[in-house]
Amino acid sequence: MDKQVYQEFNQTIYRQQLANGLKVQLLPMAGYHKTYAILTTDFGSIDNHFIPYQQDEAIKVPDGVAHFLEHKMFEKEDHDAFDLFGKLGADSNAFTSFTQTSYLFSTTSNLHANLDVLLDFVQDPYFTAQTVKKEQGIIGQEIQMYDDDPGWRLYLGILGNLYPKDPMRIDIAGTVDSISQITPEILMASYQTFYQPSNMNLFLVGQLDPEETMAWIEQNQAQKTFPPAEVPRRLFSLNDPTAHDVIPFRSLTMDIVRPKVVVGLRGTKHFDDGRQRLHYKLAIDLLLDVLFDDTSDNYLRLYNNETLDDSFSYNFEMQRGFHFAYFSSDTNQLERFADEVIAILESADQQIEAARTRFEGIKNAELGRLIGLLDSPEAIANRYAGDLFAGASLMDEIQLLKSITIDDLYQVANEFITSQGISVYQVVPQHQ
Amino acid sequence: MDFNLARGVDLHIIPTKQFKMNHVLIDFATPQTPTNATARNLLANLLETSTHRYPTQTALARQLATLYGAYVNLFVNRLGTLHTVRLHASFVNNNFVHEDLFAQVGELINEILFHPLVDDGEFDGPTFRLQANNLKSAIKSLYDEKQFLANQRLMDLYYQQDSVMRIPSFGRINDLADLTASSLVETYRSMIDRDKVDIFVLGDVDPQAAQQVFARLPFADRDAALPAPFYQQPAYELVQHRTDYQQVSQAKFNLAYRLPVYYHDANYYAGLVFNGLFGGTPYSKLFTNVREKASLAYYASSRFLPFNGLVSVQTGIKASDRDQVRDLVQAQLAAIQAGDFSTATLQEVQDSLINQYRAGHDIAGNVLEQQLVTSLFGQANQDFVTQIKAVTKDDIIRVAKMTKLQAVYLLSGEK
Repeated sequence: MDKQVYQEFNQTIYRQQLANGLKVQLLPMAGYHKTYAILTTDFGSIDNHFIPYQQDEAIKVPDGVAHFLEHKMFEKEDHDAFDLFGKLGADSNAFTSFTQTSYLFSTTSNLHANLDVLLDFVQDPYFTAQTVKKEQGIIGQEIQMYDDDPGWRLYLGILGNLYPKDPMRIDIAGTVDSISQITPEILMASYQTFYQPSNMNLFLVGQLDPEETMAWIEQNQAQKTFPPAEVPRRLFSLNDPTAHDVIPFRSLTMDIVRPKVVVGLRGTKHFDDGRQRLHYKLAIDLLLDVLFDDTSDNYLRLYNNETLDDSFSYNFEMQRGFHFAYFSSDTNQLERFADEVIAILESADQQIEAARTRFEGIKNAELGRLIGLLDSPEAIANRYAGDLFAGASLMDEIQLLKSITIDDLYQVANEFITSQGISVYQVVPQHQ
Repeated sequence: MDFNLARGVDLHIIPTKQFKMNHVLIDFATPQTPTNATARNLLANLLETSTHRYPTQTALARQLATLYGAYVNLFVNRLGTLHTVRLHASFVNNNFVHEDLFAQVGELINEILFHPLVDDGEFDGPTFRLQANNLKSAIKSLYDEKQFLANQRLMDLYYQQDSVMRIPSFGRINDLADLTASSLVETYRSMIDRDKVDIFVLGDVDPQAAQQVFARLPFADRDAALPAPFYQQPAYELVQHRTDYQQVSQAKFNLAYRLPVYYHDANYYAGLVFNGLFGGTPYSKLFTNVREKASLAYYASSRFLPFNGLVSVQTGIKASDRDQVRDLVQAQLAAIQAGDFSTATLQEVQDSLINQYRAGHDIAGNVLEQQLVTSLFGQANQDFVTQIKAVTKDDIIRVAKMTKLQAVYLLSGEK
């Protein structure tokens, strides 16, 4: 078991890769009552085109399979894993993103037994035509719930503009139509390909004893046999890696009263190395703070002339195979908001220069925010992105953030901001 | 560790080494009236925006950035019939930054609360107009959040005509027209001078030093007594119904039940377990039967409001399934009333509540909320685990029988 000590934060991470390939990380937190455990596979909604485990022909699976599989993993022939956690006093849940599916529990008792339940239910697939049918009703309602959420529509809308021919344009849960095509066979092929221990990682944070916990995990895994590991063969490639396929503008009407707008910016840089990718991400986070945070003159000007309001937010997302930023607000001045945000992005160099005196403050604020996340076992474990950032923990991120200089910002601004990568999406009231 | 800073102003210090952030919560409580909610929400927004020393939000934001991204937010809330304005600050512990952030944040809180941007008896005009306008837009845009809207309209249907509870804690657009830059100063003075004030400090702090920092806040004595915050209303004889039509993909179907069980009364813990069994946990009747067995909804849950005497149920369904869902929800309540639930399920629900309670100690915001309720209404939750475990099947049946359907609301996309 490898041990990495972070003196500054008085924390230690224990790491081990088991014989079957499963990567395990343990982070004990003194004084905490709860243990949070999350088991993640690198399989998300964009992984819809792949060569199944030990086969030769590629298949395309319906949109929403990863999320559907997540729902179905809990249900077994004679019980539901949810209830097993319940009997052991734990809360459990799961979620699916574009690139990952995670199963988790949080408990203040029976850690060993709960850990066994987690590993056992995720490593024991059971799908029948009847249970698949039942889930279509529940997930259909989930999809329609999100359909009524203007914030989600704004997010999916801008993704559809930025990646018009790539799977990110589709809701993670798929569509009512696509999930009706899902069969037990499709679920099983996806499961065998992506749920191999070598494609998964387990992260425990909170009240735990590292030696004892690692022994429990090893014991559980040693009792099972797994087919030989095979690296998943995904056929994902961007339709146009240079982003010339971006749709510059679309809009949607909904039964709402406040118009909403988002500006999206798609990056095209390719990364060979996870740490390089993380460095880039942290530098972009700071760049966006410099350009748009509430200490900037831009923000005050746009706030005071009511181009944006307290609903304004901006984010950068770095995912496996793609990255993008987006800036959104409720506003009555839709065009003006977009024009102003784009003008600020396109003059990033001057903006950075003008922010020289603010840079240390902005960096300290970002440091403070990341240190704040150390108080949340969920945040520490959920933020962990595995190979994407070469196994960096939140503590590694904080240390890397400290090394970023204002010169890095010029460089990432030049790489990230291109005119073909910019797009606008609006959600507007139907009566206007 | 408690200190009395003035009559009606209490400081509670909770030293702990568990967290890397320190937290300060200042709670201003007063009974809600027909007019004060909107004014107090606008006031919270004004105080959060600027001060005399930091006259723009940018100046204030820059000061916060220098304090390692300290957060200071003001917002409104409601506990039963009490309206509260809260200031919450969170900031990195001194150990990480090798400077006395604690004292500096204390200084900034003093500036925000006691040196607002007020001159000649009025809040700064442009700031007032902009914040009033923003609040109007923010309240308006709640229409866009359909689940929230459906719940709001259910509450409107449930609470009786003359009840202040019909006015949401964040206020109403119509009341904004009556507020002025000078009337808000009266609202401010009333809050600072007359509200019950509780200050909580949580973190790796030296209690004496923390006491010194907060003793500098110039609070005066005030009448400390608050009325009991429990809201009660007589039962409607007929169930209230309302249906609205909007362009939504999914219908939001919500129900309100009267349950005259209140925080720390004889039935309180039974009420918590009952709600967990009805729809408050994943082991509940609603989750199991409406979602998992009948496949009618993605969410189907219940919420117990122990200061309001109310249980509400929320579901997202196909509009055409409305009658079926209504009957199924009612059947779940009837089943509990008839004692139709296993000891195993009851145990799961109890364990789940206990797990949530224990895990709550790991979330600073949750610890503060618990302490606030305790200091306002007495009786700590120290024996929570024992009390939850002591709830029997008969207790639950008794509470279930006290639960009466009062209002049914449907937001539908299909005429």
